[in-house]
Amino acid sequence: MKIFKYIVSKIFLRKAILGIGMVLLLCMANYITFTAVRSILSTFQGYQETRYINQEGFYIANLDPDSHIEMNTVRENGTQAVYDYINNNFNYAFYADGFIVSVPNIDDMEISLVYMNKEYYKLNQFELLQGTDLEFDYQFDKEIPVLIGKGLSKTYPVGSTIEIEESVLGRPITLKVQGILKQNAHHSNYYALNSKIYYNFSVLFPVNEEFINHANIDLQLNGLMDITILQTTKEEISNLSEVIKDNLGLKFNFFSQKENYNYINKYYFHTLKIISITTIILLIVITCLSIWNALVSVRLMLKDFTINLLVGLSYSKLKKIFYGYFGILSFIDLAVIFIITAFNRYGCWLRKDATFATYGLFGLIGMDWLALLLVAASDIIIGMIVVESMLWKIKKIPISLGVLQ
Amino acid sequence: MKKSLFRLTDMLELSIAYIFCFFLNLLFDYVKTLDLDAYLLKAFLKNFIDYQSLIVLLFTFVVIVFHYQMLYRKNLEIFCRILVGDTVFNITIRYILDCLTILIFVYLLSAFINVHLNFNLTGNFYLVLIFITYILISVRQVRKYENF
Repeated sequence: MKIFKYIVSKIFLRKAILGIGMVLLLCMANYITFTAVRSILSTFQGYQETRYINQEGFYIANLDPDSHIEMNTVRENGTQAVYDYINNNFNYAFYADGFIVSVPNIDDMEISLVYMNKEYYKLNQFELLQGTDLEFDYQFDKEIPVLIGKGLSKTYPVGSTIEIEESVLGRPITLKVQGILKQNAHHSNYYALNSKIYYNFSVLFPVNEEFINHANIDLQLNGLMDITILQTTKEEISNLSEVIKDNLGLKFNFFSQKENYNYINKYYFHTLKIISITTIILLIVITCLSIWNALVSVRLMLKDFTINLLVGLSYSKLKKIFYGYFGILSFIDLAVIFIITAFNRYGCWLRKDATFATYGLFGLIGMDWLALLLVAASDIIIGMIVVESMLWKIKKIPISLGVLQ
Repeated sequence: MKKSLFRLTDMLELSIAYIFCFFLNLLFDYVKTLDLDAYLLKAFLKNFIDYQSLIVLLFTFVVIVFHYQMLYRKNLEIFCRILVGDTVFNITIRYILDCLTILIFVYLLSAFINVHLNFNLTGNFYLVLIFITYILISVRQVRKYENF
């Protein structure tokens, strides 16, 4: 430890610019690795989620990119006719989010209402922290049982009620907290698998046929955008597309499991491949720069190293010192990445961004920790390459020559 | 060139360091012009494009390391030159001119690529100012070796 302290303070820190150079290069490498790993993990997480909804015989709705909604032309009886047709002919999973309401809570967050029907709820298997599962057979003019995110549980424990003044029904409603979701429960966007919303400050609202029939056009149309028709055939789906076109004037595509997987394989895996290759190329470039920086350090500090080798320092001890020094630099960089991530995550709490606020140490979630772990692994690999090249360079020069330099 | 502190390897090293920084900036500008339809790729690249100037600035530290290590290695040479009649002023001027020549050469190369790709010519210019600042700061190190 004494010799380690001596070499770090008397040799490395006396030429601090080289150390700072290495810290910056490692910081870049860590940032690139962290960003890439998190993108890949987040996409994979989204992909796992879609497996619940993307099954054989299921068709997921998607508004044709060339079809534009003009709210003036869409009539309420048009959407109602579509839902009547769907209710009479199909089993479907209904999901709609993004309905913001003002509900008092101790964190002063805006609350997002997430509407889902029984089929969607069953497919997604939400894990609860407390309370019981959602009930869908309720009278919507009485208290409606709901699930809430962990962030709301302090203000609204199980059994308490929430008053909402403005609802999709056009009148005040009373919600009764039936259960609390596990922290960081989330939903991935079907068309951007890496993009997520977190339910920590959301209310999961059960909807049934009667509720949809009484809801305003916003919910009906919003729900139609992501509707999943279960256990059906291509012919029946074509008929549904026709019904939507006739009543709403919108062209909807319904994609089967095979079509969805083809899209994911073609689009996502190709993109992930590009991200991985780009990351690897950048890491190789940064590793080369780090080696250059390390060899420059050896060139400038050769005399100091060789004098220490002459007076009894062994190569194995020097190797350990190099690894220790590199470990300190890596730790500094890991701490920087941790601070940047924590700042981003905690920033959502400060900005009162309810859909992205997460629980964890400074808001860091499992995915972040896993990405940090992989960053540490990449640091170890870069460290081994750099330290071994430094030792190779030192060993190449005879001690007597090094001392003379 | 005979009296220059730069050897061929030094010139190559500095050129590569400059080219790397200019190329990195150019790469960012190029990525910004791409019409990507892949949301995932766009989201990934946004993490870097948003911090383009900061990332390029951090990588310019490679040039600082170059100046530092080169002048540190040349301390004996500088002292010997002064012993045989050269002056610190002349050494400094020659050093600045050598660095500027390499910098201008690399900048012109990057400007040519900018024109070829229809990019803004001033997009790379801020790097020239940064590198000139580095050269001027490193000049102080030449003066430091006057008394070896």
